[in-house]
Amino acid sequence: MTQTQPQTDVTPKRVSRPFYKRALASAGDFLRQLARRPLSFIGLMLVIGFILMAIFAPIIAPFAFDQISTGPRSSPPSIDNLFGTDRLGRDVFSRVVWGSREIIVIPGIATAIAVFFGAGLGMMTGFYGGWIDEVISRAFDSLLAIPAMVLALVMLATIGPSAVGIVIVIVLLYTPIITRVVRSATLNVRSLGYVEAARLRGESTFYIVTREILPGVLPALVVEAALRFSYAIFLTASLGFLGLGVQPPSPDWGRMVSEARNNYTRTPWEMVYPAAAIAVLVVGVNLMADGLRRIFRYEGQER
Amino acid sequence: MFNNIAHLFGRSGVARLKMTSNVVLVALLALVLSVSVYAQDENVLVIGTEAPVNLDPAIGSNDQEALFNRTVYDFLVDVTVDSDIAPALAESWEISDDGLTYTFTLREGVTFHDGSSFGPEDVVFTFDRLKELESSVLSRLGEFTVEAGEGNTVVFTLTQPNADFLYAVGARFTAILSSDDMAFDTGVDANGTGAFSVSEYVPGERTTFAANEAYWGGAPSLAGVEHVYIEDKNAQVDALLSGDVDFIFKLSLDQIARIEGEDGFTVLEVATNQHPVIRLHANEGAIGEDVRVRQAFKLATNREEINDILYGGRAVIGNNDPIGPLYGQFYNDMLEKPAYDPEAACALIQEATGEERLTSTLRLPDAFGGDYALMAAALQQQWAEGCIDVDIEVFPEGVYYSDGTWLDTELGITGWGSRPIAQAILVEAYVPGAAYNESNWEDEEVGALVAEAGVTTDPEARTQLYHQISEIFAERGPIIVPFFAPVLGAVSNDVQGLEMNPFPGLTDVRNVSLGQ
Repeated sequence: MTQTQPQTDVTPKRVSRPFYKRALASAGDFLRQLARRPLSFIGLMLVIGFILMAIFAPIIAPFAFDQISTGPRSSPPSIDNLFGTDRLGRDVFSRVVWGSREIIVIPGIATAIAVFFGAGLGMMTGFYGGWIDEVISRAFDSLLAIPAMVLALVMLATIGPSAVGIVIVIVLLYTPIITRVVRSATLNVRSLGYVEAARLRGESTFYIVTREILPGVLPALVVEAALRFSYAIFLTASLGFLGLGVQPPSPDWGRMVSEARNNYTRTPWEMVYPAAAIAVLVVGVNLMADGLRRIFRYEGQER
Repeated sequence: MFNNIAHLFGRSGVARLKMTSNVVLVALLALVLSVSVYAQDENVLVIGTEAPVNLDPAIGSNDQEALFNRTVYDFLVDVTVDSDIAPALAESWEISDDGLTYTFTLREGVTFHDGSSFGPEDVVFTFDRLKELESSVLSRLGEFTVEAGEGNTVVFTLTQPNADFLYAVGARFTAILSSDDMAFDTGVDANGTGAFSVSEYVPGERTTFAANEAYWGGAPSLAGVEHVYIEDKNAQVDALLSGDVDFIFKLSLDQIARIEGEDGFTVLEVATNQHPVIRLHANEGAIGEDVRVRQAFKLATNREEINDILYGGRAVIGNNDPIGPLYGQFYNDMLEKPAYDPEAACALIQEATGEERLTSTLRLPDAFGGDYALMAAALQQQWAEGCIDVDIEVFPEGVYYSDGTWLDTELGITGWGSRPIAQAILVEAYVPGAAYNESNWEDEEVGALVAEAGVTTDPEARTQLYHQISEIFAERGPIIVPFFAPVLGAVSNDVQGLEMNPFPGLTDVRNVSLGQ
């Protein structure tokens, strides 16, 4: 391995640099590292591709996602309708393109919130220990004992299917998992010399957690966030497939697969493209997450 | 076929021979036997269906159970494919003027498969047994007593008139059993008067029936019938296409599309009364309080387009009432089909509300494999043309019907299963105070007409009443019935004279024959 050692952000001499600069520097570093591994690079490109597709959907998609009769109903792929049309004559290509927004934004927001709460609770329980740790950890353990899909179905059936509902469900499902990961990472970092040193310097708890512990748990957190994001995409698509996703006529990929599956042999294009889009996006995110994991593991071994 | 062979081996003891030295002999014997079994199959109608579970006619209610019972048993009267009443074990009947006494004259010289003769005691036994077992058909029969009358007659005495009594008597639960079968068990013991008798019943696998040469309606032209139990619909299609079965039913459009591409098969299509109801709350302060708004929704709905999208045009476009073409003359086919006119809808909306556009939320169950959600997406676009903007909320079917959403929502879609008689659905959902009055519509005139239809036994007078009800629905009803769904089946072209019943399990095979 001829790789240069990545900059480690946890060394005490860098503490004086503003946190956001360090974060940016390390983010840039991660991306460079990712780009160096072919598979991770492919993953990164796929994710970036989908994000661009989501941003530029109005330009890329020739039709609105809910416009019916864009061509003959249930017609196979053609020049006018690249991915064919569905039973309402809606353009499948446009729907897949527009659908990338929801499938990225909903799990993205949900994962971000879950990471925020998970990191906070994880560092708190890991740092303080004691009864706070006991109460929160046991509560989350009991939540984790219920299969995720069952819990999601029950919750969505109760609060009603909507985008906000899905975000709430994902946050509730993933916060405990992230909390657990961050908590164990915090336990490892807490006993390190520089944390001890900061404590002896008389730094405030807030300072210690954000400046000393957070950078230490960041690798674990980033990998976990990427993995959770890919699971969240799958969960969102699954809920859409089960009819508990975003409401029609939204171009929810999972719902599109579900609507098309009864006519699969007649109009395979209706089902194949959204299904492939889900698969490609999830594979992309997973490759990226895997790349992150490898980078951090390598770093961890060197340290 | 292999099962037959294995069975024969077991019986003849061949299997007990030492395998090592007799493999060749066994194989040869198998070949001979299989050829002979195959030869017998030539004039046998083979039907592919899911396996029945409860073969007691008083209880079993699904298609495959009905199919089994329809083959073995007879009924006092037959309800035809066109919803008419035809004589069967009862040659004729008389209804007293007050509509409370039904006297059936039974057919002479009918025998059960075990050789015993059929008489009034068997009818009394059968109907008393329905009461004993609390069969679900009792709700349709109403309260009654049954006893043997003078000569070869049976007399039913009702506590109140029931214009649909004959339909209940001909329903699938009322197969006439032999009074000798006090310990009636299912399957193998089935002892009816029907055109076919059970030769062998292998639960979960198949039933073979042999023609009843002594059948009162004349010996059937088929040598026998065989039901082959295949749980997967696509496998049923495979079996049909490969020639293993001759008739399958309850197929999806996708499955039909596979069959249509092949030579030698005919797609069957029968209108049922299964339909979605798109309805508005009609009570005071609700979205549909103003009749003009109700009419606007009707005008803004393009039924042809929905039929094309969901059924490739195979469904029957509905009027705006639940009385479908399945109910024969009760269906008002004189009524002008509802037009699609979004501009007129806009005008009515503006006139009724004083606003440019009406906004609401359309709630519906996720039913029929996403078909309802698809219909909602189409409605949303159609209604937008008619100045009606709706958001769509799709609920899991179980949730929608169990937590009251389907009754509470101002604007919703409800799936109504096919009821065998028009009266049932009207009483359940559309008269004032009805149990499932989902549209909160309290129309006294409709209530009075429905009540009158319930006790009017004269078919002509009854038809008039139902037509009148349909007209009221068209004029001011708060519901839209975009279509009546078809039931689809497929049959090999070798089969002649098979007419699929709207309830496919009740398809009559007595007059079916095989051969080009």
